[in-house]
Amino acid sequence: MHFLKGLLLSLLPAAALAAKKPVVDKFSQFHTKALASTPLKLDDSVYAKLTAAPRNYSVVVLLTAMEARFGCALCREFQPEWDLLSSSWTKGDKKGDSRLVFGTLDFVDGKNTFQSLGLQTAPVLLFFQPTVGPHAIPDNGPIRYDFTSGPQSAEQVHSWIARYLPDRPHPQVNRPINWVRGIAITTTILATITFLSVAWPYMVPIIQNRNVWAAISLIAILLFTTGHMFNHIRKVPYVTGDGRGGVSYFAGGFSNQNGLETQILAAIYGLLSFATISLALKVPRITDPKTQQVAVIVWSGVIFVMYSFLLSVFRMKNGGYPFWLPPFF
Amino acid sequence: MRPLAIATAVLSFASAAVCVEKGNLTKPLTSKLILPSTFRPAQNFKNANLVHIINLEKSYPKESINVVIENVASTPQDEYFIPFTSQQMATIGGLEVKDRKNPESPLFEVEAFIIYLPLTGTNRCYSDTQFYRIHLPEPLAPKAQQTLGISFYYLSALNPLPATIAQADKQYLVYTLSAYCQSAYDTLKQKTEVKFPSTTVPEYTIVPGTKGSPESPQKQGSKFTYGSYGEVPAGAVEPVKVRYEFTKPLIHVSELERDIEVSHWGGNIAFEERYIMTNRAANLSKQFSRVEWASQTYYNPPSTAVKELRFPLRVGSLEPYFTDVIGNVSTSRFRSNRREANLEIKPRYPVFGGWNYPFRVGWNADLKKYLRKLSGGEGYVLNVPFLEGPKQPEGIEYEHIELRVILPEGAENVQYSTTVPLVSASTSLHRTFMDTTGRTALTLTAINIVDDLRDRELIVTYDYPLLAGFRKPLVIFVTILSLFAAAWGIGSLDVTIKNKRS
Amino acid sequence: MAETVADPFFKGNTGRNTRGILRLSILVLIAAAAIASRLFSVIRFESIIHEFDPWFNFRATKYLVSNGFYDFWDWFDDRTWHPLGRVTGGTLYPGLMVTSGAIYHALRALTIPVDIRNICVLLAPGFSGLTAFATYLFTNEMSTSPSAGLLAAAFMGIAPGYISRSVAGSYDNEAIAIFLLVFTFYLWIKAVKLGSAMWGALCALFYGYMVSAWGGYVFITNLIPLHVFVLVCMGRFSPRLYVSYCTWYALGTLASMQIPFVGFLPIRSSEHMSALGVFGLLQLVGFVEFVRSGVPSKQFGTLLRGFVLLVFGISFGGLVLLTVSGVIAPWTGRFYSLWDTGYAKIHIPIIASVSEHQPTAWPAYFFDLNLLIWLFPAGVYLCFQKLADEQVFVVVYSILASYFSGVMVRLMLTLTPIVCVAAALAVSSLLDTYLLLKSPEYPGDSATEAGSNGTPAPSKKAAKQDGLRSMRQPLVGIYTTFSKMSVVSALTSYLLIFVLHCTWVTSNAYSSPSVVLASRMPDGSQHIIDDYREAYQWLRQNTAEDAKIMSWWDYGYQIGGMADRPTLVDNNTWNNTHIATVGKAMSSREEVSYPIMRQHEVDYVLVVFGGLLGYSGDDINKFLWMVRIAEGIWPDEVKERDFFTDRGEYRVDEGATETMKNSLMYKMSYYNYCTLFPPGQCQDRVRGVKLPDVGPTLNTVEEAFTSENWIIRIFKVKDLDNAGRDLASAASFERGNKKKKTIKKRGPKVLRVE
Repeated sequence: MHFLKGLLLSLLPAAALAAKKPVVDKFSQFHTKALASTPLKLDDSVYAKLTAAPRNYSVVVLLTAMEARFGCALCREFQPEWDLLSSSWTKGDKKGDSRLVFGTLDFVDGKNTFQSLGLQTAPVLLFFQPTVGPHAIPDNGPIRYDFTSGPQSAEQVHSWIARYLPDRPHPQVNRPINWVRGIAITTTILATITFLSVAWPYMVPIIQNRNVWAAISLIAILLFTTGHMFNHIRKVPYVTGDGRGGVSYFAGGFSNQNGLETQILAAIYGLLSFATISLALKVPRITDPKTQQVAVIVWSGVIFVMYSFLLSVFRMKNGGYPFWLPPFF
Repeated sequence: MRPLAIATAVLSFASAAVCVEKGNLTKPLTSKLILPSTFRPAQNFKNANLVHIINLEKSYPKESINVVIENVASTPQDEYFIPFTSQQMATIGGLEVKDRKNPESPLFEVEAFIIYLPLTGTNRCYSDTQFYRIHLPEPLAPKAQQTLGISFYYLSALNPLPATIAQADKQYLVYTLSAYCQSAYDTLKQKTEVKFPSTTVPEYTIVPGTKGSPESPQKQGSKFTYGSYGEVPAGAVEPVKVRYEFTKPLIHVSELERDIEVSHWGGNIAFEERYIMTNRAANLSKQFSRVEWASQTYYNPPSTAVKELRFPLRVGSLEPYFTDVIGNVSTSRFRSNRREANLEIKPRYPVFGGWNYPFRVGWNADLKKYLRKLSGGEGYVLNVPFLEGPKQPEGIEYEHIELRVILPEGAENVQYSTTVPLVSASTSLHRTFMDTTGRTALTLTAINIVDDLRDRELIVTYDYPLLAGFRKPLVIFVTILSLFAAAWGIGSLDVTIKNKRS
Repeated sequence: MAETVADPFFKGNTGRNTRGILRLSILVLIAAAAIASRLFSVIRFESIIHEFDPWFNFRATKYLVSNGFYDFWDWFDDRTWHPLGRVTGGTLYPGLMVTSGAIYHALRALTIPVDIRNICVLLAPGFSGLTAFATYLFTNEMSTSPSAGLLAAAFMGIAPGYISRSVAGSYDNEAIAIFLLVFTFYLWIKAVKLGSAMWGALCALFYGYMVSAWGGYVFITNLIPLHVFVLVCMGRFSPRLYVSYCTWYALGTLASMQIPFVGFLPIRSSEHMSALGVFGLLQLVGFVEFVRSGVPSKQFGTLLRGFVLLVFGISFGGLVLLTVSGVIAPWTGRFYSLWDTGYAKIHIPIIASVSEHQPTAWPAYFFDLNLLIWLFPAGVYLCFQKLADEQVFVVVYSILASYFSGVMVRLMLTLTPIVCVAAALAVSSLLDTYLLLKSPEYPGDSATEAGSNGTPAPSKKAAKQDGLRSMRQPLVGIYTTFSKMSVVSALTSYLLIFVLHCTWVTSNAYSSPSVVLASRMPDGSQHIIDDYREAYQWLRQNTAEDAKIMSWWDYGYQIGGMADRPTLVDNNTWNNTHIATVGKAMSSREEVSYPIMRQHEVDYVLVVFGGLLGYSGDDINKFLWMVRIAEGIWPDEVKERDFFTDRGEYRVDEGATETMKNSLMYKMSYYNYCTLFPPGQCQDRVRGVKLPDVGPTLNTVEEAFTSENWIIRIFKVKDLDNAGRDLASAASFERGNKKKKTIKKRGPKVLRVE
């Protein structure tokens, strides 16, 4: 096959005419395949065949590693987007006016290709311009799309591809409407409404109960003031192991924290403020002097120890912090 | 264009001079006399012997003419003229004449003359030769002789050649002079001496010897001598050009504002000086290279860049500051002890040729050192240096100096005296720190000054009535009292909108 | 006994006056402390404007003072964003400048020769004193205890969370905005309590001032309606509420629309829609209440309620519709990124690149608030005791502010006041309980005891319905002096630690003007590193008046303020494309950058390089952001990927990628650098790597000035070659075509993600 193609190419004057025939077939056959199922599942040979010059069509190949053992989260995140893009594109022009073929090459099927391209990372998106035909681009080296800034949406990739396919149709990405989800939402809404209407009289005392609201707001405040949003945004690990296989509860560094760490802090804060509240409100309402005395001592002790512990934790986070209380140094 | 500039300058001086009140001990240099173009000084004198010394050791040429004049007229004469080109006239400074025989004689009175060409159209322009007239204190009898010592400077008269050099190159200056000293009278015998800063004088004009006298110049070390020459008619010129090495900055202060604020209450006198400084030295041929500069600083070779300025202040000066337009400059040192008070400041960056560096320095001092109360009455005498600029080995030239002495509020009958040639003086009011009427401010202007006049003193006398001292406390007290009263009044008003029944 | 002696001072009218004077003097002392604790930088360095934005405010203020108000109002600044220029008068919050301008003119009227710079430097500390006072008023509205207000004022005065933005010299909008924030809230509470239109109008007035001062006014715009909404939901609608809110909304909106920068936003943008919606809701509810009062029938009431809900729903839907159709502008990116926290990182790299827009980790809270952070929940809980309208406000404020502060570090500023208030409530309630001199008698007749204790015991049944679980029993008091002493002494020691903490934090963390750097000499004396001003002063004195300076946007304001030269981009990042253009010029090859610089008439390029001194905040470390922002506009020409080695490392030594080595920024940073070192020892002290001995060569720009410690390097853009050659060949001709050597690699430096 290759030999034949080389021969054809070598016949200079006739090359264009002669070369077209098999090429056209190539695209049409790939396109028909694509119509059946896109993106095409490639392996080394098909990949070579698909991307071999000369081609008068464009190819986009996603080189990925889906299997769990490679642990390529990015690949798995991007895959549905990729399928969506290719399917909607191929549906978009059934006649294949854009002359674009989508292909996916998984590492397990295409080890050689990965090696030949010298890829260490996945996923990688390769775009092959046509070498002959109306939109031919002189250099037929693939254009590479890197996933440096995290997982990409289908639209982003679509716009990227569209940049290289001027004056050709760019079928839009159309996401299928998720009927199941919609139905689920509506049903839940209706259910809640009915539930409320039925259970209202029983709910009222709960809703109007101050303690509930106090609890809710205190919990919210404690969450936020211990950096829960930081965890949420930075997606920090729950715990990090220290070097010796153990678990370090407190992440090093001033502007860094673990999930567990924040919960410990929330507990400390909560305990401290609860102790304060009881000193302020509960204790003066104890009628028995003895118990009151004990309560005062206990609660002040709790505050003292906890605060000292808090300071020591902070010294852990911030090296040069000079203040401390016994017993924790 | 230069003549017009002079014209405007002259007019401004004239207008400025009006507002000086009477009875000042020294009169500022009032408007230059204006003479028709036909004016020629009468040939009443001849110069029996003349020695012209040109000193190029600093960044400005300093010339002194020692001349023995003889009255050749039949009547006593008391007016001796020195000619200058209008170019020189614009840049000349500190022209002083004294009797060589008795040094402690007071300086002679000199006046500048402007000579117009006949009116051409609307604007009058000047002839190229201008004159200074020296007024001899007592007329010189016929055949009598007198020895005059005339000294003056030219500002921005030295120019680097080549005009651009590399960062580490040596700098060469060019100065044009005349082997024959300019004179309005015939000169029987004269010679011109040129003192160079160093012996490296690559180029100089050679004047061929004339009848008997050897060819000039003769060199002795760094001193060149042209002449001596025999009889030379009035106004004869023998141009000479010298080019010599001078690898030092040419510091040129185009504007110096110096404020001296006297506070009787605080017992404090505050000085502040604002400089607009630029370096007239040869510009850098390539861009500034920090690497080269850093490597130089170890063995610091002579350079055309201004690295540091030293202010030897009066002993006892306090809390000096050195700032520029964007704030305090941390690279300054102040050494103060019983003997000296040296302020050493470094500009933020080395000021190379063609670069500017405006800055301000200021300091305080104890008023007692400068002010004395006249016995009896309310008169005070203030004695301050007229100029306290930096003292650099290469010298500094000031194009325009404006000195303001701010006296306490209510000071009156202000008089001053100084030996620095002024061009204008005026008193005005300066309001600050909750003044009601404003403080009396004496403003003195001088042009073309060099740092040789550094230690000339300025003496100001004024009256300060006791009551004036108590004006401010009273005013403030009354104001605050009235404020309280107003506050109380407003506070006791009732502005609530409610029906009074309930 | 001492009491009898002191009696006349503590009883009756004299007593009131004594306490008044005492309180006044305490407040004055607090203000003094607040101001004094902010003067570290002035004492250590000098009275100088701090880091970046303040320099613009300072410049604007000088413009206002010199050219008058109306010129300032329509000030078109052609010395920034060259060649576009900026409609500065219409795109800034004038409140700050006008305030200091007014102070300046007032002092001048008293013929006090004060420099405008000093006013600007000391404005923030001055207003912090006022903030303490406003907090005092605000807290007094919250609790009956006389000590709470003073405590809150003290906390507010020295809390690092507020000091961080208000030290002397940080002349930024927050300097006055926090005072206005607290004071507006105080007026709002006052208005709600009295239901008086006057207080409402005052509130609107200060709200308008706030709008003119800081973009953070949106916080008020959303918090007050939220407060009202919550009250309505609690069935607390009252004429007081109606009057105060309507007055505030009507007048406040009008006032805010007077600021050109705000203009019609209050009715066109989503940030303000909640206020409008609540306004409508109040009208409805008011109408319904009115009708209900007239028509007693029960069904009619329910009908009306349904009607209200219907109208509210419809109008809400309408709002959404308008937003979708674009009549109402959707949320601005900065505001939207508060809700969708991932948004900015993907779509607005400029916002994401600013360090103060990062989320807050817990140490930051403790660092800024110390023990207040755990007194805070207790105080909020105490607010539930008697849940009047104002306490509801505290609760709402607390929750909202703590959320915001968690999302963005800089919003810690809005959290601090309420933390101080809540903590003060907690502490004061403790002190009031444990500092009572008279102890209750031992039980037995505790029934009378409770009565004599000032607070009558609430009947259990009443307490059960509402009120907190912890308050069911009657208040008795503390019996033993020991417990009083222990609690009080412990509390005092904590407060002392707090004061120490605040001083320490302020002096170590928040008091350095990033313009001047301080380092310690071997002998321990302080050495000032003043490179920024050295270079800026050089620019100002020795370049043409209109020489265009190209630098990264961080330094735009400083160049405008100190060097007084036109810049291409500055910290007012209104034009992403222009910034991306600069980023592209910095991050591409000389052949690409030169045309860009010519087109923008750039005369000088300024880069910040910390390699010699180990100054980590330099341009090479910010470089990736330039690349990212440029990539956002020219994805094909600038690729972040190309600046990382195959192993994904960001390197500057020999291992650096070709793109990196050829980028203009890299070349300018390391140009001639290695000639400082003996061969083979050329080292970058920030990145801690060894550099190739042969540095980069520059063809299109030439070194014009380098500051003493190399922190600032200024390059002059060459003019076109006289002989018509391209600059590269011209330069190589002059250089005589030196050849480069290649040197073996060193250990890699691994990329740290932001």
